[in-house]
Amino acid sequence: MEFLIFLAIIAGLAFYVVAIYNRLVALKNRYENAFAQIEVQLKRRYDLIPNLIETAKGYLSHERDTLEAVVNARNQALAGLESLKGNLGSADAMKELASAEGLLQGALSKLNVVVEAYPDLKANENMMQLSEELTSTENRVAFARQAFNDQVMEYNTYRQSFPPTVFAGMFGHPSDAQLLQFEDSAEIQAAPKVSF
Amino acid sequence: MDFYRAQDQARRLTGRLVLLFGAAVLTLVILTNVLVGAALVFVQQPTSVGMVTLVDRLATIDATTWLIVTLGVVGTITLACLFKVAQLNGGGPALAESLGGRRVAADSTDPAERRLLNVVEEMALAAGTSVPPVYLLPEPGINAFAAGFGSGDAVIGVNQGTIDALTRDELQGVVAHEFSHLLNGDTRINLRLIALLHGILFIGLVGRLLLRGSGSGHRSGRRSGSNGAPVALFGVGLMIIGFGGTFFGNLIKSAVSRQREYLADGAAVQFTRNPDGIANALKKIGGATAGSLMTRAGAAEASHMYFANGISHWLGGLMATHPPLDDRIRAIQPRWDGNYIATTAGGFAVGSATAATAAATTSRFADGPIDRSTTIDVLETEVADSAALVGNPSQKSQDMAEAVLESTTRKLRDAAHQAFDARALLYAMLLSDDAELREEQIRTIARLDSDRTAQAALRLLPDLDGIDDLHRLTLAQTAMPALKEGSKAQARSLLRTLTELIKADRQIALFEWVLHRLMVQELRPHFEKPEPPKWEYGTLSQVADACSELLTALATRGNPQARSQEAAFRAGADALGLELRFEPQPDPNLTRLSAAMTTLRKLTPLAKPRVLKAAAETVLADELVTVDEGALLQGVSAALDCPLPPAIYAELKR
Repeated sequence: MEFLIFLAIIAGLAFYVVAIYNRLVALKNRYENAFAQIEVQLKRRYDLIPNLIETAKGYLSHERDTLEAVVNARNQALAGLESLKGNLGSADAMKELASAEGLLQGALSKLNVVVEAYPDLKANENMMQLSEELTSTENRVAFARQAFNDQVMEYNTYRQSFPPTVFAGMFGHPSDAQLLQFEDSAEIQAAPKVSF
Repeated sequence: MDFYRAQDQARRLTGRLVLLFGAAVLTLVILTNVLVGAALVFVQQPTSVGMVTLVDRLATIDATTWLIVTLGVVGTITLACLFKVAQLNGGGPALAESLGGRRVAADSTDPAERRLLNVVEEMALAAGTSVPPVYLLPEPGINAFAAGFGSGDAVIGVNQGTIDALTRDELQGVVAHEFSHLLNGDTRINLRLIALLHGILFIGLVGRLLLRGSGSGHRSGRRSGSNGAPVALFGVGLMIIGFGGTFFGNLIKSAVSRQREYLADGAAVQFTRNPDGIANALKKIGGATAGSLMTRAGAAEASHMYFANGISHWLGGLMATHPPLDDRIRAIQPRWDGNYIATTAGGFAVGSATAATAAATTSRFADGPIDRSTTIDVLETEVADSAALVGNPSQKSQDMAEAVLESTTRKLRDAAHQAFDARALLYAMLLSDDAELREEQIRTIARLDSDRTAQAALRLLPDLDGIDDLHRLTLAQTAMPALKEGSKAQARSLLRTLTELIKADRQIALFEWVLHRLMVQELRPHFEKPEPPKWEYGTLSQVADACSELLTALATRGNPQARSQEAAFRAGADALGLELRFEPQPDPNLTRLSAAMTTLRKLTPLAKPRVLKAAAETVLADELVTVDEGALLQGVSAALDCPLPPAIYAELKR
């Protein structure tokens, strides 16, 4: 009799532990999927920048430094994104991408200021289209980033709560996931408003 | 077989399932009791237990033991079921994720994924439902599934192998098959079935655990005593009982599932008007090396949800969740020569296999008893038959859906396919014409959502100019997968912002009301658990007041004069066969209409088509259909869970 009660309790506990395991896996998958969305949009942005430079080059022959700064920042951000792939848990890689993104933002806003001084370039149809696309990609990155951070928060909160925290390490979830926060977010918040 | 009968049958099947399940549990309880009794007898007197003495001794065991064993078994099964129910609470998305599915982004640019998304979108709009999100499973076999409790959490899952190997027509056939499962309510039973079967299966699992546990206990047990052997025996016994339970469980599952598969195949032919698409898809499964098998560990318990057999079983036909491929193909193409189509893996198939063979085929489904093309022809002259259209997308409604989308600008269509832009699109739809009011609405968006979204909404505004409410609603339904991307917090804030925007001018326009209802129905399950529907009212007379409210709203909308209003109201009331009194409302009250719709939602599904029909009669009483009436009709059909294909708009516009 006691044996059966014991059995029932064991069964209940087993269910509970399995449920914790499954939930951890599901939440992790979800934030990883959310990151894939950011990745798609960031890549799109990195692909747009060379076109932008190509268009601007003809007009901005005296602004070599500004253009180069954008290209360099873009390459660095792209490298940051590549190194983060399959390595989402790493705080360093996440920071690296964030700071590279901050750098790129800075370089792009500098370029915007420069473009203001060249009305011909500003009125260039190609340029207008590119800047429009950059803006909308910017918005999408912001949205995807918010979704990602929400999912990470949900994962972290669950992982830290009791009793999942007891099992999390055992089940291959030893540490919190990293939020993606862009450095100097105030500057980036303002970025889409700048028009060419 | 029409939509309502199919749904009703699905519900009755659920009833029978519960009965069978009860019988299975009872059997399990009795068997376990006997086993425990035998174990107890064995422990008390291990030697010389004959059959007769066993029975004698079983009789001496007291009632408490029986009670405890029974409670133990029932408790374990309940626990296992509840566990599964909790796991499946997330509905379709949760199941797709547990099978290793990856959500295909609504703005994916991969050509094969894009094609899949387009096919799903066309099918959904043709059926008049919101577009469900699509999941891609990394499996080489040709297979697909649909899952979900209702339209809010419905998903379509497709194997990578499917989009690699099939042409567009074949893919369309497969997707139509899955849509039939969604529309006919099969996915709801299927999810419940998984939970119930998990309970039965679990007994066997406990047995296996016990056996393993006693194995290790045995080694240490040599010193402390010999308790291991009976425990192991008990484990083996439980395993055998468990296997029995699983066996019968699978038998139930397979029998139910096989029956629904023919129905879905038939529906796929109806929806696509192309028997070759689905037939060739089936032939390719026969010819493919990976067939339709699913490799993932958890795939077995969802085996009855797939497009074709996902799990092979040594008992073959008896345990197959789907009818044999050959039978399914022959049901669609009676003159099939028996040759499968060989597929090469990798590189998605392009081109169309239809034109050449289509003419030669006479199919059971194409002109058989369940064909509904006649209904659709009838519909061309009489829209009042709209109820027959529900759940039956036709070529015509597909064309209509396409035409609706074509009439919008490219920018709007792209926006509807992108998570961020789709939000802005919805906000833009609700922006007021009044500059001051719009200013305030923009501030509301910036406050509750973000400044970026507000700006994006303003940019989309010029494109929405001149697009009527019906087209806007269709756009909103197209945007659904994109809107369901993102986090729970984002979905919640979207719904809150929409509500605030609607309230901005202190009055609720009809379009706003319909859009809000649609959004609540679709987005709520995204951040709250999906609610199972309740049928509280069995007859129309129980909901007479709500019907009266609905017909009044429709009659008032479409007719300026009081006399024609009453005539329209009468037409609807007659269709319902109810004695209703018309009380004209100078100012149509949408809050009361909302309450009425909430009541009507709880009406038994078999009575709902009559309400929809009455609504159509009211709208058509003056043989003139305004956009307002059309939008309201769409809101009503969505609220009643009777998706109304857009073919009806052809009549509305006339």
